[in-house]
Order: sequence, then C-alpha cells, then structure tokens
Amino acid sequence: MKREMKVFLLFLLTFGVLCMAGAAFAEDPVYGGILRWREINDPPKLDPAQATDTVSSRAIYLMFDSLVENDSDGKGVLPALAESWEGSEGGTVWTFKLRKGVRFHKECLGESTANGGREVTAQDWKYTFERMVRDNSPRAYFIEMIEGYQDFVSRDETGATEWSGIKVLDDYTLQFKLTYSFAPFVSVLAYNSFMVIPREDAEKWGKEFNFHPVGTGPFMLERWDHDQKVVLKKNPDYWRKDDKGNALPYLDGVELVVIPDNTIAYEEFKKGNLDAFQDFPDEFYVEAKATYGPLFQERPWVGTYYYGFNNSKEPFKGNRALRQAVNYAVDRERISDLVIEGRYPAGKGVLPPGMPGFNPDLKGYSYDPDKAKALLKEAGYPNGFECELQVNNNPRHKAVAEAIQAQLMELGIKLNIKVVDWGVHLDMCERAETQMFRMGWVVDYLDPDNFLYVLLHSSNHGSKGNYSFYSNPEVDALLAEARVETNWDKRIELYRKAEQLIVEDAPWVFLFHYSTSLLGQKWVKNMHLPAMGDYSTPLYNVWVTKK
Amino acid sequence: MFTYFLRKLLYTIPVLWGVVTVVFILMAVVPGDPARIMMGQRGDPATLARIRADLGLDLPLHRQYTKFLGELLRGDLGTSYRSNEKVSVALSVRFGATLRLAFWAMVLASVLGVTAGIVSAVKQYSVFDYSAMFLAISGVSAPVFWVGLLLLLAFAYNLHWIPGVGYGDGQAIYLILPVLTLGVRPAALIARLTRSCMLEVLSQDYIRTARAKGLAEKIVVIKHALKNALIPVVTIIGTQVAELLSGAVLTETIFAWPGIGRLAVEALVARDFPMIRGTVIFMALIFLVTNLVVDLSYGFIDPRVRFE
Repeated sequence: MKREMKVFLLFLLTFGVLCMAGAAFAEDPVYGGILRWREINDPPKLDPAQATDTVSSRAIYLMFDSLVENDSDGKGVLPALAESWEGSEGGTVWTFKLRKGVRFHKECLGESTANGGREVTAQDWKYTFERMVRDNSPRAYFIEMIEGYQDFVSRDETGATEWSGIKVLDDYTLQFKLTYSFAPFVSVLAYNSFMVIPREDAEKWGKEFNFHPVGTGPFMLERWDHDQKVVLKKNPDYWRKDDKGNALPYLDGVELVVIPDNTIAYEEFKKGNLDAFQDFPDEFYVEAKATYGPLFQERPWVGTYYYGFNNSKEPFKGNRALRQAVNYAVDRERISDLVIEGRYPAGKGVLPPGMPGFNPDLKGYSYDPDKAKALLKEAGYPNGFECELQVNNNPRHKAVAEAIQAQLMELGIKLNIKVVDWGVHLDMCERAETQMFRMGWVVDYLDPDNFLYVLLHSSNHGSKGNYSFYSNPEVDALLAEARVETNWDKRIELYRKAEQLIVEDAPWVFLFHYSTSLLGQKWVKNMHLPAMGDYSTPLYNVWVTKK
Repeated sequence: MFTYFLRKLLYTIPVLWGVVTVVFILMAVVPGDPARIMMGQRGDPATLARIRADLGLDLPLHRQYTKFLGELLRGDLGTSYRSNEKVSVALSVRFGATLRLAFWAMVLASVLGVTAGIVSAVKQYSVFDYSAMFLAISGVSAPVFWVGLLLLLAFAYNLHWIPGVGYGDGQAIYLILPVLTLGVRPAALIARLTRSCMLEVLSQDYIRTARAKGLAEKIVVIKHALKNALIPVVTIIGTQVAELLSGAVLTETIFAWPGIGRLAVEALVARDFPMIRGTVIFMALIFLVTNLVVDLSYGFIDPRVRFE
C-alpha cells in the first residue's frame, strides 16, 4: 500500500512538473515569423513629421521612437528614448536625459542608410524638431510653446538659424525652454510626429525621405509595394530588451497588408492569411466576438463622439434651454445598442474614460423626453423646430444620424441630414456654416487639456478645434489656469469645474465615447491593445507560434 | 491612311486641352481644401497658410493654371499632395497592374463573347442559344461587387483553390478571380451584340448565295458572315477596353488590386489635385488612343471602309 502510495505521489509530482514545464514552454517567447496586419489603405506618409492619419501612424510606431511614450493603460507617460526628465520650478524648463546606445537603422529598402547605424545623440533631437518647422510639419505647432518657435518659423524675416528654446547640453542631455508654463508638455512629446530621425538620411532624401524612412524603431522598411503592402524587417540593433535581457523584437518582420474591403479582410483573417485585424467593423462584430472569445480585444478608446451646435448662430446661439432639450431628447444607450452593437458607451461629458481627470460622477444628460419638452417650451419652441445636421460621409455616422433623427422627431424636432465629404465637412464647420454637425475627437496627448482647451476654449474657434464656436469666459479662465498649474490635483479640480460648466451650457450633444478593437489569431502571443488606440499596439514584444 | 492617322492625332490635342482645362476648373470650384485635409481635424491657421503656400494654392487661379500647363508641357504631372509621390511614377506603377488585369479580362470577354454570340446566332432558338443569352443577361445585370464576392467566397474561402486576394508577387493564380469578375460584363455585352449582328448578316442575300454555291457552313459563317458582323463588335470591344484600362474601381477594391481605379478614388477623397488631374488626363489619353485604334481597325476588317 505504502509502495503504491509512493508510486502515485511520484506520478503526481512528475505530472505536475511536466504540466508546469509545458505551461512555461507555451508562454516562452519564440523568435522568428512574420506578423501580417490588416490596413484599410496604403499609408500616405511614412515621414513622422508629415503624418496625420492612423494608417501612417501604425507604420511609424513600428519604425520610429519618441522621447517618451504613452502607458498602454493610458495612465501617463513612460520613458522611451529619454531615460528620465525633470521640470524646473514653474515648469518652464524641461531637461531630458537620453538613453545611451540607441542606434539608427543601418538599412532601409535593402540598402545601407547614410547614417550607417550610428548612435542617437541630443543633436539629432534638435535637428528633428527644427526639421519639422523647416518642412512645415502639420504638427509642429503642437510645441509652439517652446521658446523661439515664432522666430524660427519666420526665419526668413528674423534671420533665426536655430530654434533657440531647444538646447543641447551634451550628447545625452536635451533641454527645452518654454515661453510659458505648459503642464502637458511631456505628454505632448509622446505624439507620433515627435520621432527622432537621422540628419544624414533626411538631408540625403529631402522630401523623398517619406519613401526612405529611417528611425530607431524595432522594424526597418524592407519593401513598399504601394496599395499592396508595407514590408518591415527586424532591426537587429534595436535598443529594447525583454525582462530576461533577450534581444527584441521577437518577430522577423511585420507586413502591413492593404485590403480595402471589410468583408474580404474578415474572410482573409478567417482563412489565416492575416494575423491581426484592427478597428473591427460592426457588421461582423457579434460573430467575431462569439467565435474568437478572448482573442477579440476591445476597450474604451480615449475619444468622444459628439454633435456640435453652432453656438454662434440661431437657433442655438444664446439658447441654452434649446441645446439642453436636444441633449435630453436623445436616448444614447438605445442608439448605441441598435446601430453600433452597443460598442460605444454613452457619453456624459467631454472627457472620455481613460483620460486622466475623467469624472465618473458627472451627471450629464439622460434620456428624459418630458424634461426635453419642458425645455423646448422654455426655449421658445413648444412645438419643436427644424434644423440641419451635417455629417461626413461614412455609413456608421449616417446610421447614427438617422436613429437620432427618428428620436428627435417624436418631440417635433425635424432634423434634416446632410451628408458631405470629410474635406467639405471640415471647411464648412470651420467657417461656422452648419447649424449642427457631427464630430469626433480622439486623444493626441494624454491630458485633459487636449480635449477641454483644444475643443472648447474660445481662442480655438474654428480650425484649431472649437468647431462649435462655444465661448464662456468663466470656462476660458479655468482652462487657462489649468494649463499653467503644475500641481496635478489642483489641475484636475480646475478641469472638473470647467467640464461641469460646459456640460451645463450644452454646446454639444454629448453622445458617446469611442472604443478600440483588435482581433488576433491564436498563434499571435503577447499582443495587447493599448488605450491610445489599435494603431499604436506595440509589436516589439509580440511573437508568433506559427511560422 | 497615314494622313488620316495624323489628322486624328492632331484632333487629340484640343480634346486633351479641353479635358485638362475642365478638370482644372472643376478642382478649383469643388469644395474641400486639400491643405485642410492634410492637416487633419485640428489645424493651426498659420501652419495651414504655410502649407497652402508650399502647395501653390495661395496663387491666383490664372497663375495656378498657367503654372500647371507649363509643367504639363514639360511632361511633369506634379507631385501628390497626399503622399508626396510623383504623379507620373504613381500612374506608371499602377497602370502596369491595371493593364494586366484589363488585358486578360478583355481576352476572356472577347473569346467567350464572340464564340457564344456566333454559336447562338447559328443555332438560334436552340438550348445553347437560350442558355447563353440567359447567362449574358445575367452577366450584364449582375453587379460587379456581387460577382467578385461570390467568386471569392466559392473559390478562395470555401474550396481553397485560390490563395486569396491581392497581387501576390505577380503570380498568375491571383489574376484568375479578378479577371473573371471583370470579364463577365463585357463578355455578356459582346455575346449579345455578336449574336444580333450575326443574325442580321446571316439573313442577307449574299449568305444565301454563298450557301447555294455549296460552301461549307463553317466558311460561310467565319469568312463571310463574321467579318461583316464584326464592326459593331469591335467598337464595343474598344469602348470596353478603354473603360477597363481607366480603372475598375470595384474589382480593384474587392481584390485589393493595386490599380489606377483605387488610386483615383483615394485621390478624390483627399482632394489630391495633382493626382486627380494626372489620372483624368491619363484616362482621357487611353480613351483617345483606343478610339484611334478602333477607327483604324475598321479598315482591316471591312475593305469597303476608306480613310478619308
């Protein structure tokens, strides 16, 4: 009996060890393999200074690095090519200590790069920022608070030869002097335009750098077959290591495969021709969730979907009760469930969940037709009114608009939907030529300033972000104060006060907050969807078990 | 014939100039600022002004037009606002893919269409005739995206005979389904037209004479009837070739085929003026050249046609 027991225990022990070994083996990273990632169109720009769209950003995140990067859960910024940083008292001087041993790609499109794979220094960072201004980067103005920006922009008149507020203290120390204290400064530097590039290659190619991009990221450009695929190969000198000190990335390469049609892309995924499918379409959402279970990742995206009122024109100008009435007349949950499979949570205010400063206790507007009727009466429209809603051409936006149109009709509000192209939409909204318009905003940098100041401060009317032409001096003062306040808790308090006032003023119909999604194959391991959106999913630490 | 060719060639100049001018004016009046689209949703007005100046959009319209014409005369179609790609390079790269697709689609359509049309005419009211004409009507009526999706679902995703969508590395297997999809409609059109032209010709007196002479039916049909029935068919083939070469947007989108059609649509959405102008000029050229080739081919098909 004793012997039997011993044998049984030995069997159990062996079984346990084997199981653990098996589990450990299953979780151990594997080198090699190519990951095929679906894109809806060819990336227009691979030069970080010029890119403004998410498809380009996907490729840029794979090939380039910034000083700091966003935490994947959206809880702040983490070191990247800067090991550490500190701000001066008052927050007008920021000093960054750079990581040593980071090298530029030594190969691009199968040929040696002009920089030869040399180390990145602070000089490269200064060059990168100055090049953005020289080449009219659409995103250079994000850091206009750095001293000397205007002089350098107008260098033909001022004779400025450099951007004076950016100082190279030594090879590994970079300093920024700001003209005013700007609390979100470090967060802004995580934006994907601010990626270091080598002077030699930038000068060799000029504007053609877009087709010969050279960075420090985990992957290097190997081939670009326009409208087909962008082929990236592993950077053998990548600076990051895994927890055990092993070299990264694990993958031999990434292919960004262009498949414009969603139905076909999903079929290709099911067939195994694609490994990752991001920004998953509504039409296959229920099926994919049921079929793939945990392989289907979805989480709140730091973004807000709203209908703006034109606050500078009748009937919404100066009529808060009318704007509030429309807010009470919309059943957000029902629309989300009916039209977008419940993928977008109902919005109560401006700041989305995941954004620091998000107020979960904000009251907002719930569906209340009686209150809406009373407010309509108070606003001087007891029998409703007629107005035009402009949306940009997209099936999802059109479907949401039609659902809202039907709901508002119940209260006598006749919404005429006008669908236009994106470019036309922007132009008309910018010139305040609409009565109501659809708009969405997804985070550039993880700070409430990026939503509240950009979208609702009166200095940003029009193209700078405040398309609703909202203006409230009290809100302006709170937002301006929060921008320069260095104490985080005080800032949050100021932002919450401002958001509460904005919600009461109802310059928008606060509709939804976005969600982001990513579907991966079962053989793709360690791929985690970040809060900043699917296109920024890191792939340097992802591996595949199917070659 | 050479004079005719030269004269036709000269006609293309005012036509092209007209196309170029109309496209330029349309781009100038169409709403949507390309610089604004490049900047995205949030744009600083000062940067916007600099980008507009960089693109030459701040110049008065007449100066933009003369600058554009000058560049065009030097063979420079400009640079894409959206991607910085040289328009001529972008067109030449995509045209290769479109040409390959259009060529094989037209070969398929012509062979299938003409054969089906001839047999249907010769065996009028037979089972073959009814079946072929039923298929032809279905082919003309079926939307391209539906045909494409159906073929893909059947052969790529259920039977797994075809690896999938895309251009591959140029392997012929990737060409099969897009060619079938693109060829269905022209094949149906050609079949219907060939049948009706053949029926008309076959009822002519000289065909009866040929038969009475004791000629073999094959010779009567091929040599005497078909040749005379071909002129309208060649015309329709010419128009179809031009249409396919100027881009088959839906087929290219469904099969992720890197052709001119997709390039043109993306350029339109982004208000990428140089790329739009380039593609329209290119398409106009294709139509002109195809028409010229069709005109010249009449002389070879029908000796009665004189080039005057």
